[in-house]
Amino acid sequence: MLLYVHVPFCRAKCAYCAFASQPLDASDIEPYLEGLAAEAAHFSRALFRPAMDTVFIGGGTPSLLPDWALERLVSTLRRHFELPKGIEFTLEANPDSADLPKLGALRELGVNRLSLGVQSLNDRTLALLGRPHTAAQAVAAVSAARLAGFKNLSLDFIWGLPGMRPAAWLKQLKTVVEELKPEHLSCYNLTLEPGTPLAAAADAGSLPLPSDDEDARSFLYGSRFLSERGYLHYEISNFARMGFACRHNQGYWQGRDYLGLGPSAVSTIDHIRRENPKTLTSWLSSIDASRFDSHTETLDPATRLREYVMLSLRTSRGLSLAAYRSLAGRPFTTGRAAMLKVLREHNLIRLTKDTLRLTADGMLVSNTIISRLLDADLPQD
Amino acid sequence: MDHIRNFSIIAHIDHGKSTLADRILGLTGLVTARDQREQYLDRMDIERERGITIKAQSVRIPYKARDGKTYILNLIDTPGHVDFSYEVSRSLAACEGALLVVDATQGVEAQTLANVYLALDNDLEIIPVLNKIDLPSSDVARVKLEIEEAIGLDCAKAVPVSAKTGENVDEVLERIVTDLPPPRGDPDKPLKALIFDSWYDSYQGVVVLFRIFDGRVRRGQKIMMYSSKAVFEVSKLGVFSPDAKDVSDLGAGEVGFLCATMKNLQDARVGDTITDPLKPTTDPFPGFKKVKPMVFSGLYPVEPAEYEPLKIALEKLQLNDSAFTYEPEVSRALGFGFRCGFLGLLHMEIIQERLEREFQAKLIVTAPSVIYRVETTKGEVFDIDNPSKLPEPQAIASLAEPYAKLEIHVPNEYIGGVLKLCEERRGLQKDMRYLTSTRVIITYEVPFAEVVYDFFDKLKSTTRGYASMDYEIIDFRPSNLVKLDILINGEPVDALSTIVHKDKAPYIGRNLALRLKREIPRQLYEVVVQAAIGNKIIARERTPPLRKDVTAKCYGGDITRKRKLLEKQKEGKKRMKKMGNVEIPQEAFLAALKAGEE
Repeated sequence: MLLYVHVPFCRAKCAYCAFASQPLDASDIEPYLEGLAAEAAHFSRALFRPAMDTVFIGGGTPSLLPDWALERLVSTLRRHFELPKGIEFTLEANPDSADLPKLGALRELGVNRLSLGVQSLNDRTLALLGRPHTAAQAVAAVSAARLAGFKNLSLDFIWGLPGMRPAAWLKQLKTVVEELKPEHLSCYNLTLEPGTPLAAAADAGSLPLPSDDEDARSFLYGSRFLSERGYLHYEISNFARMGFACRHNQGYWQGRDYLGLGPSAVSTIDHIRRENPKTLTSWLSSIDASRFDSHTETLDPATRLREYVMLSLRTSRGLSLAAYRSLAGRPFTTGRAAMLKVLREHNLIRLTKDTLRLTADGMLVSNTIISRLLDADLPQD
Repeated sequence: MDHIRNFSIIAHIDHGKSTLADRILGLTGLVTARDQREQYLDRMDIERERGITIKAQSVRIPYKARDGKTYILNLIDTPGHVDFSYEVSRSLAACEGALLVVDATQGVEAQTLANVYLALDNDLEIIPVLNKIDLPSSDVARVKLEIEEAIGLDCAKAVPVSAKTGENVDEVLERIVTDLPPPRGDPDKPLKALIFDSWYDSYQGVVVLFRIFDGRVRRGQKIMMYSSKAVFEVSKLGVFSPDAKDVSDLGAGEVGFLCATMKNLQDARVGDTITDPLKPTTDPFPGFKKVKPMVFSGLYPVEPAEYEPLKIALEKLQLNDSAFTYEPEVSRALGFGFRCGFLGLLHMEIIQERLEREFQAKLIVTAPSVIYRVETTKGEVFDIDNPSKLPEPQAIASLAEPYAKLEIHVPNEYIGGVLKLCEERRGLQKDMRYLTSTRVIITYEVPFAEVVYDFFDKLKSTTRGYASMDYEIIDFRPSNLVKLDILINGEPVDALSTIVHKDKAPYIGRNLALRLKREIPRQLYEVVVQAAIGNKIIARERTPPLRKDVTAKCYGGDITRKRKLLEKQKEGKKRMKKMGNVEIPQEAFLAALKAGEE
């Protein structure tokens, strides 16, 4: 089982962000930790103190929490769950809250994988995104992480940002690979989430966003460049040096069970998906009322099959035809032969006798491809 | 018979016919305030929503006149659109008189005139009624003058009313009694009754609306349809007042409905004469004709599995509409569907809407086509209703197309625009005369295909809605026509083929290819649209492949939402048809309809 903990606090809301987060108010920390303890205790009892294979503390900005709070959070987790030695233990941090003392403290707590939200190495772009840090701070945070002893460092970047043409993206990737040398990179295409300031600016036409063709080149050239430099493109938005693919996230794409704690966190255990209330207040009142399953969804076999198709095709490992067959009771090619042929002719997929994978070109239009492939698994009206 | 008055109300669309009918029903107490609803006589939802009458209705209204006597007023409500002019003429033939409703803020319009001519052809006494006098912009004096000038109708006794407020409507009722003649006819002569409408009711079977001219009809008696000589037994006889009321017999001059042992609507064609099989009339009602559809288009189910339900829906619809025809056809692009015939474009839209609404059939509709008359080099002559049935060019000796005579009424400042439109549509000007000093009637002969292709919308926009139009099909004329084919990624799409005039083909081809390019969303692969005449490509448009459609993040908390988004894409694809690798939205099939425009 995978363990995810959501820390809902940020210094400020970024202009593109639609995640559940709120400005950190010192008085919120205590109730949050208490809520988390109650929730962890509940699931520890319900699941017989399960052993976790990975821990991922995300947000929000977990690194914003003061050391004492992080310490309590981790000890809560250790009290209620089995966290074997050596498991992947990730924490998300922002460059402005990742100085050497803080990072040293995290190491002490057992965090062995740091995910730094760098997003861009251009200060004007960072300002436009509403990020509370500069590129120099990001570079300093990377050095500090190394000094603190992190040997598994992941950096988050966004491509397709305003004014970012393929050449600029490649140049930045080159700097990242040659100077920051992370073990892992997450490169997310800018997603304009409705309701965010950035989406509003885009609607107003005031952002010099690259065209789809330019974005496509950024992705394809970037993927090729990173591969040449030894990063495996193991999921649509993720690249890793050998042995450093994120085990926690791979677990999601493999359909493993995961327990999520904290506001807006989601769990999927034994085919039941449970979603926590989104805001800190609503989550706390649920916990106070001992309601731990206010929003649940049962995943029937057909839904599980569709999720398997959707998630496995995001990864370089791809969809196992044998696994599909045992889940669906029929070969994957049934009803899809013509479509697969065309997708192959257009270099969008690779199909071997065991596996179906998307090519980099295919990943770029993966929503269309996957939805097309899912049709055959959807009921006819 | 002296106490009967059979009348109808004729008007241009929106001049207030249905409102006046509602007011008459209310004023005579036939419909109480509680049951009152707008457009009482329009029974179909579509009729009320579109504000038009599609089916004729009749209603028997008892009215106590100022002379103290009670009269029976039979109001025969007629359809109000040019597509249904034959039905209108039969409804009018069932009357002795008509109220001519003219909007006093607008004046005489094309359908006013067309309907008046129909009424005059049937020797109807006409009472002009000037409606909407409650509006400040009404000008009774001007409109009276216009009616006198345009129609030659004496307007000295025209009744100004407001159907909306009810003002002066009582005067209209009184004038129906005093000014319209009672029916004449001989109850002792052999039965002679005119069918002016019929429909299929799932409980009663075929319901026939008729007007008796001579003789009587009784429940249980045998009747014969004059045209087919088919004999039926009257199982139900009644009048609408306004709800159905059974009666045991009806005599000369009366209007009513009957049900007999008829299986389908073809047994009771509008315009046919009902008579007595034992003593048939020697004088059937003149002018009976079977109405023929003039506009054809393909109706295809979006999902192949919907073919059978669509067939059943079409069968049911035809029970109620004998002017509508359908037969199975197969398209390579669209699969199994039906070639359907309509009286005109409005009729087509109505049928399509009823299918989608009443029968929940999801449809793809191909561009409408007219009938073309083909003469082959072997000397055969036949009509085709589908461009894909056109023989190879070398086998065609000549091609002829139907022409329509258009009468367009327009304020004189729009003459230029109307003439330009008619000329662009290959029209031949026949006449142009001033109705009044500011209103003009323009008469053109135009290929009917050009009328079908969006002419009416174009006319309305050119004249800011001030023009009105009436048309009739006159004849077939040889034209220099070619078949324009569309190829998508090299594959001809039969459902997109059209027949066009040779001179216009390059322009229409370019336009159609461009419209298709716009309608077909970016796909995973390049899409090339070509327009061709025979082997000659006259236009080419390319849509580059979709470049980016990707979800950046999909972790534990995102899975349900992302899955639902991908599943939902299927919804959007429902109205797409797959042609080889290319998915074509149904709008594309209608792009051909607008290809003639800039």
